[in-house]
Amino acid sequence: MLSSVRKQLLSSAVKRYFHASVLACSDKSFVHRDTPENNSNVPFDFTPENKKRCELIISNYPKGHEAAACIPLLDLAQRQNDNWLPISAMHKVAEILKMPRMRVYEVATFYTMFNREPVGKYFVQICTTTPCILNGVGSDAILEAIKQNLGIDVGHTTKDKMFTLAEVECLGACVNAPMVQINDDYYEDLTVDDINRILNDLKAGKKPKPGPQSGQNGRFASEPKNGLTSLTEPPRGPGFGVRPDL
Amino acid sequence: MASIIKVIGNVRRIISHNNGIIGSFLKMFRHDDLKWGTLVGEDKYGNKYYENNYYFFGKNRWVSYPQSSGFDFDASEIPPEWHRWMHYMTDDPPTKVPLPQRKWMADHTMNLTGTSREYVPYSTTRPKIQSWVPPKSSD
Amino acid sequence: MLRLWPLRQVAKVQNVLGGLTQIATKSTQPAPAPELVEVFIDDKQVFVEPGTTVLQACAVAGVEIPRFCYHDRLSIAGNCRMCLVEVERSPKPVASCAMPVMKGMKVKTDSPMTRKAREGVMEFLLMNHPLDCPICDQGGECDLQDQSMAFGSDRSRFTDNAFTGKRAVEDKNIGPLIKTIMTRCIQCTRCIRFASEIAGVDDLGTSGRGTDMQVGTYVEKMFKSELSGNVIDLCPVGALTSKPYAFTARPWEIRKVESIDVMDAVGSNIVVGMRTNEVMRVLPRVNEDINEEWISDKTRFAYDGLKRQRLTTPFINVDGQLVPTDWETAFVKVAEKVKKVDPKLIAGVAGSTADAEAMVCLKDMINRLGGELLCTEDSFPLNRSGIDFRSNYIFNTTIGGIEQADVVLLIGTNPRLEAPLINARIRKTWIHSEVCVGVLGAPVDLSYEYQYLGDSFIVLKDLAAGTHPMCKALASANKPMIILGTDCLQGTENGVIYNAVKDIAERLRKNLKHKDWKIFNLLQKNASQVGALDLGYQPGVSGLKALQAELIFLLGADAGTVSKDKINPSSSVIYIGHHGDYGAQIADVVLPAAAYTEKDAIYVNTEGRVQLARQAVNPPGMARHDWKIIRALSEILGVALPYDKLADVRARLGEISPTFDQPGQVNESGFEAQAYQLQTEIKDPIVNVNTAISPTMLKLKDFYMTDPISRASLTMAKCIQACKESEKNPYSKQEAKA
Repeated sequence: MLSSVRKQLLSSAVKRYFHASVLACSDKSFVHRDTPENNSNVPFDFTPENKKRCELIISNYPKGHEAAACIPLLDLAQRQNDNWLPISAMHKVAEILKMPRMRVYEVATFYTMFNREPVGKYFVQICTTTPCILNGVGSDAILEAIKQNLGIDVGHTTKDKMFTLAEVECLGACVNAPMVQINDDYYEDLTVDDINRILNDLKAGKKPKPGPQSGQNGRFASEPKNGLTSLTEPPRGPGFGVRPDL
Repeated sequence: MASIIKVIGNVRRIISHNNGIIGSFLKMFRHDDLKWGTLVGEDKYGNKYYENNYYFFGKNRWVSYPQSSGFDFDASEIPPEWHRWMHYMTDDPPTKVPLPQRKWMADHTMNLTGTSREYVPYSTTRPKIQSWVPPKSSD
Repeated sequence: MLRLWPLRQVAKVQNVLGGLTQIATKSTQPAPAPELVEVFIDDKQVFVEPGTTVLQACAVAGVEIPRFCYHDRLSIAGNCRMCLVEVERSPKPVASCAMPVMKGMKVKTDSPMTRKAREGVMEFLLMNHPLDCPICDQGGECDLQDQSMAFGSDRSRFTDNAFTGKRAVEDKNIGPLIKTIMTRCIQCTRCIRFASEIAGVDDLGTSGRGTDMQVGTYVEKMFKSELSGNVIDLCPVGALTSKPYAFTARPWEIRKVESIDVMDAVGSNIVVGMRTNEVMRVLPRVNEDINEEWISDKTRFAYDGLKRQRLTTPFINVDGQLVPTDWETAFVKVAEKVKKVDPKLIAGVAGSTADAEAMVCLKDMINRLGGELLCTEDSFPLNRSGIDFRSNYIFNTTIGGIEQADVVLLIGTNPRLEAPLINARIRKTWIHSEVCVGVLGAPVDLSYEYQYLGDSFIVLKDLAAGTHPMCKALASANKPMIILGTDCLQGTENGVIYNAVKDIAERLRKNLKHKDWKIFNLLQKNASQVGALDLGYQPGVSGLKALQAELIFLLGADAGTVSKDKINPSSSVIYIGHHGDYGAQIADVVLPAAAYTEKDAIYVNTEGRVQLARQAVNPPGMARHDWKIIRALSEILGVALPYDKLADVRARLGEISPTFDQPGQVNESGFEAQAYQLQTEIKDPIVNVNTAISPTMLKLKDFYMTDPISRASLTMAKCIQACKESEKNPYSKQEAKA
């Protein structure tokens, strides 16, 4: 009788799903499909001031190596175009840098910070890597709060095209975890109240103060909770500790 | 002496059975064999079946094909009801014990393989080479 | 690799700074012989040049290292990791394809560490590779199959994909020739490197990253290249396979016959895959002097044309309608026609795929009958020394010789479509050296940069006179090359153009430092042309009209140069060929012959290289070998030819020209000066040519159908269709070149 119970348990454990495929590691498609808002006929050109900027960026690189300006130019194009990169922008960059288009596609698809689909005005990226899960209230609570507040799921955009929510890997602010990045600003040391306040402010058109929030008593940066343990003295002036004869 | 008389008697019987000397000669020419026996029956195709148990088992039943078959006769001309008697599957010829007739039974046909009327299946494979067909001249 | 796109600009800058003259002087100085480096491969001592990779050093020592991404003719990627080997005093296994040798390096190619590394790499590769070998076209010739048998483990530790499934990638549509099953891709990037380095079409690339990385075009478009089929051979797995060949045969069922291609005048070496008397596929055969290991798409995929529109029975014309008949009737009909006409008015025309044996038989037969006129379809100026000197009509530099050239001038030709492999050689030269290419003709996409000189005759005249700016580059070049196309020699003014080109070549030749370097090259388009001219055929069909020929034998002449309105309307046409194409339609008697895969035949390529094609399959139906048809016909006509065996015909070929006795070799042609002198002696004034000097094939869609075989091919028709469709595709538009 015991053996049949074991068999039952095991058979449920090694159940095979014939039609299952690996879950994609990215929710983005790496093949372009023409959509009404993203196709080769969508006009894109750099604004006159961005054109000047392009030239400045390209001049940073040695002659013959203009292709090195691919990433900064794509970034510039993305900033100009409401935080996303239509295929016509990639074509424009290829044209400016005299690169084959495929080489630009390669770059644009490799780097996850290039959005190849339209995103909301505020692109909310929440870090859900281990330190952010563990620290403070934890990113799970923050993510839940964002979902509640905006009424969208990860990867979706609100109906008014204001917010897009994305789950990302480590953004390098582990010491101030949990955190979200909204467009270019980091909001760190978050609590559920903080994130609701930030989102409501953005909805109301106000710009909340970026940086650490109330999670760690509103600290200035990433200093320790119980006060500084080093660098407590005022900084010494120049020439400190240098041999007098120098 | 007695055996000689027996042989002569046999020859006489055979000749008389096969319509005289000329008939025997023709029979020999066509069948390579001369026998005498009792006519057991005849089927609707004109085959005549004989039996004579004087001959050894295996040679004691034989068929004489109709003249219409000419010299090109074939064993498959024997219909199935006689086939079983000829092959000693039964000792009752269909004249004595006729086979039950079913409505699905088809008429007997001989094996036509090797004749001009043989069955040749058409090819279902596509030809490997597609030949050119000259365009029809307009005038 | 300097000319590949990232560094192209650098090359330009250097060109501006250095100038051509400086580069020219640089290359004349012999580089000091490099000191050889001593390395030990499995304790075997070998000496290799510095800069050699460990993998190549192993090859020298006779050890083959397993590899997927490394390929001799492509740049090194080093991303498959299959070539890991142990190097003594190195803490980790080393990717041998990317590691240059160092002095005293001790490489262990069969140590436990190496074997474990290979096994591990194989495990990773197979983690996401579908085990669909039974339905995979690569099965039996798959590098992954072979190497996993040789170096892999019998099981994998990645058991979790038994629950989740393997990675699946969506298939791409990159045209009618290449079938993609991208789930099988192991991302070796050979196809990408081939496209960008050899084919010069930067259409393929990787998109995404990590597990999501996939090889493709990102946007949906056709891989538009005349060499695209080669990625099928390059792909080590079954990700890229041939669409027309899909699910038709297995490599072990196929008998391989080494042969020669006749779709262009390059004479690419091919392997014809044959099964059950049917050509299953065509693959390239390595010949460093001609096609390296590539072949063009027409060579590779036009074979289905061999199975369509074939002449399988003789035809005779009865009241204006061709009706099938038997050989005897057809021969008698020909004999009747021959009897009726004046023997002097019998002529012969050799088509683009005619073999040398048939041509010599036809010539001998017509000569014996009393006819004198035998010609080819392609025209060539005769009013100079013409075809008296071989150097006038062959590709003197040789295809391998292109790699030494430092200035190439293309006149009235589009080598990319006329001879894709010669173009690939020029591109190779352009990538690896500082070669400067000038083009006089149409501004076509040649896959490399060139200086466009225009398409008018005035430019050519300037070049001939030495007043054109390009002349400076030409004059300062060590090894200049002039490639003249045949398209611009078809008109009536061909002599003038030809003369001008010869003038340029002769002036350069006089000042040449390397006296044995050949400058002038004629790029033929037809596989039969050089052979025909060697045998004494006249180029061009203009003689037919002049002679008012009454009886014309067409030997596969299907280019449409002979038509009812161009010849004597009362004349009879006898067509000997393999396809129901242009020639058969106008013929009075059609005699079915063999195509190039169906006969042992000799073809002479544009370099003048004699090559032997071998019979792979039998001629279909009642078709027979061309030379046998003519031999049999000659007997009926009462002028029996004195050869009964192929060997006898070949002996006859050798009598006419000794080059036919040396297959595979190029006989250097000489007498350029004499050829030129004869030319100047009967010099006519250089008049102006008003038509533009331009090749006829301009776009890729013009490439696919050029001869009766490719015209009958469905695959080629699909290619043209796809090319036309891709013109509408906004992503396929011509990109601005750097």
